[in-house]
Amino acid sequence: MFDPKISLSVTTDGDPLYAKARKDGIETVWERHEAQQPQCGFCDMGLSCRICVMGPCRVDPFGEGPQTGVCGADADIIVARNLCRMIAAGAASHSDHGRDLVEVLAGVAEGSAIGYKIRDEAKLKRVAAEYGITTDGKEVLTIAGELADAMMEDYGMRRKAIQLVDRAPQKRRAVWEKFNLTPRGIDRETSEMMHRTHMGVDNNWVTLLLQGMRNALSDGWGGSMIATEVSDILFGVPAPRPTTVNAGVLKADQVNIVVHGHNPVVSEMVSLACQSKKLLDLAAKKGAKGINLVGVCCTGNELLMRRGIAMAGNHLMTELILSTGAVDMMIVDYQCIMPSIGKVASCYHTKMISTSDKAQFPQMEHIEFHPGNAEKKAAEVVRTAVENFTNRKGTPFIPVEPQAAVGGFSVETILGALGGTPEPLIDAIKAGKIRGAVGIVGCNNPKIKHDYGHVTLTRRLIENDILVVDTGCVSVATAKAGFKLPEAAAMAGPGLQEICKALGIPPVLHMGSCVDNVRILVLVSALADALGVDISDLPVAGSAPEWYSEKAVTIGTYFVASGVTTHLGPMPPITGSMNVVKLLTEGLGDVVGATFAVEPDPEKAAIFLRQTIEDKRKALGLDSRNVA
Amino acid sequence: MNQVVVHPERCVGCMQCMLACATAHSQSGTLFGATLEQPLPKSRIHVGAGRFNEGFPNRCRHCDPAPCQAACLAGAINRVANTGTVMINPDRCINCASCAMACPYGVIRFHEDPLGPPNRQIAVKCDNCSSRVVRGLIPACVEVCKTGTLTWETVDDAMRRKNREVSRAMSSGGPGQPAVPDGVALLKTIKQAELEIGER
Repeated sequence: MFDPKISLSVTTDGDPLYAKARKDGIETVWERHEAQQPQCGFCDMGLSCRICVMGPCRVDPFGEGPQTGVCGADADIIVARNLCRMIAAGAASHSDHGRDLVEVLAGVAEGSAIGYKIRDEAKLKRVAAEYGITTDGKEVLTIAGELADAMMEDYGMRRKAIQLVDRAPQKRRAVWEKFNLTPRGIDRETSEMMHRTHMGVDNNWVTLLLQGMRNALSDGWGGSMIATEVSDILFGVPAPRPTTVNAGVLKADQVNIVVHGHNPVVSEMVSLACQSKKLLDLAAKKGAKGINLVGVCCTGNELLMRRGIAMAGNHLMTELILSTGAVDMMIVDYQCIMPSIGKVASCYHTKMISTSDKAQFPQMEHIEFHPGNAEKKAAEVVRTAVENFTNRKGTPFIPVEPQAAVGGFSVETILGALGGTPEPLIDAIKAGKIRGAVGIVGCNNPKIKHDYGHVTLTRRLIENDILVVDTGCVSVATAKAGFKLPEAAAMAGPGLQEICKALGIPPVLHMGSCVDNVRILVLVSALADALGVDISDLPVAGSAPEWYSEKAVTIGTYFVASGVTTHLGPMPPITGSMNVVKLLTEGLGDVVGATFAVEPDPEKAAIFLRQTIEDKRKALGLDSRNVA
Repeated sequence: MNQVVVHPERCVGCMQCMLACATAHSQSGTLFGATLEQPLPKSRIHVGAGRFNEGFPNRCRHCDPAPCQAACLAGAINRVANTGTVMINPDRCINCASCAMACPYGVIRFHEDPLGPPNRQIAVKCDNCSSRVVRGLIPACVEVCKTGTLTWETVDDAMRRKNREVSRAMSSGGPGQPAVPDGVALLKTIKQAELEIGER
């Protein structure tokens, strides 16, 4: 049971800031989680259904009470429908983020997105070529407009398949064709998922879950991939840059602005405004030594990847960061922003600004950013933040010194570091110096001790010569633990250590925000193509040790549907149907060559993931070990 | 004599019994109506979290002898002879909390109650839904419980049933019947692991 005296976090700043928040009378996610105990078992098992108003219904897992909903749906159908709606919501979220970037791209082409520009013409041309757009002799803005149009079509129903599935290895595409999993349109699959789960439509739990996979793929190889690619075109392809992480990145003597959310459309403009001479002069006049822009969550990761902007924390740190009293302004866009943080900020001088037309929050001022006004609005809010510097109450509480890290590993820079081809990495895997690779992704969840899952699993994997790539909230956890420096190679096993030292890279590579999980798909496709195999043949795996969100369900599902066996820390709400559990953890192996596995304990998960990798090595004819 | 019997291993913590109890002790008798009443009716059954965040529906055991009754100097607590229900007389209660000090289960609460005197806090606890039972209904918490955690039967019947289940589980040879369904056991294992790693 919850005991606030027990350490809640493995980070150096988590516990002292939690103690500060308690002292200041702030209610955090941990207290709210405790107040919810016991959480409803019907819901936890996926056995409650609120889809129609003949209900709500629930099925008795002990077999004596009702075994079907009013409509007649049994446990298998109810669990499958609920899970599929989580996938649809996750796909909708990331893909809608992608849509916002396509709108900016179209705005740049039209000249209406003031302040935005094409930062990487080479990437624009590469992606346009994939969409069959001829680029020779065309103006850059013309190409941008045609690409935006083509991507908009990916969202609709004019195509038989979305464009970027062509990036997957031939063998993988054949699997998708065989099981009818090739996504046709990004919004189409989400809409069809919602349709199929309406009362009286698809009541075969297997075909429901197959559509769930197609829906997830429409995000992974569609909306999310578009989000990442267009972000790269507009804001630059990430390259390795030094940065710093943890609460220590806040500066007592500077104006601290924290960006929170996911979409770089707002945070990039804020980042530019923070460099304005006029605003820097104003800050100096107010007695501040500068304007310090830092991030939390994925909008921070977007800035870290491209600009080396520091990261103050991940999901469960968002309330605690405010309790430093050092934040002069927090600017949010959307996704994973707890509606509690406006109230937390009200205990301090912190100004809270919401910016998206689709996301408003209690106790925040809403200043809407659009591609046409973002440059102007960014300057306005940064000015307000600077003016707020003098309103600080007392001395800020910043309990730690910042931890150095390196971020910014896009597929382009990883392949660049390897000399342009994946061959050196493949050679190292073949030689057994690197046993394989694991993508650790996802969130924080108060059900798991903060960052314990991420840090423990990462440590165990690199110790055993497994290269780790990470994104999202995991990437902040592992950076804070010191894994993201070239010197961290010393924490790796001898083989991985040798490779890291030769290349001058850390054993844990930061690949971006949570939409950037698609970079991992592109990387594994490059490896599979180089070996002439399917993704499911590779000695790779995925993991989400502390996941909480619907987006994470979708990500896990597109990983598995792409052939990457994926471990989850917390249990999804599916235990009400052992048929669904068995299909996801065993049966999918025969369909897509990958499965899910659930294990909250990262020590045990590490053994599972290592064994998964060793088994793949064996099947490829490489040397393999017995781990368990 | 029927009474509410609790089978804690079956509780999934959905708290339906709490909503039903508050509604049964409201003036309107409907869930939505009850949420609009002033004072708000409150549940007399309290679902708490166990060591592994599993639910436990805690309610008055109607002890005999009842420590609360012995501790009540105002004489507000009495036992109904034919049902064995321990009742609090709201008009005699002096809000001294002596009963709460004596109660081994922690199921007495103090608040203004829609069915008690206005503008005055009194001791409130489970009344075995006496007013429903006289109308031929079973207690509200039992009626809404979908997992069989709360049953309305004689303790002897409940124990005989449990005896049969235990005897079957203990018999050797043949496939054993799991004590709880696989999915329930799986979820419980996961929850235990989550809490266990938090203490490292």
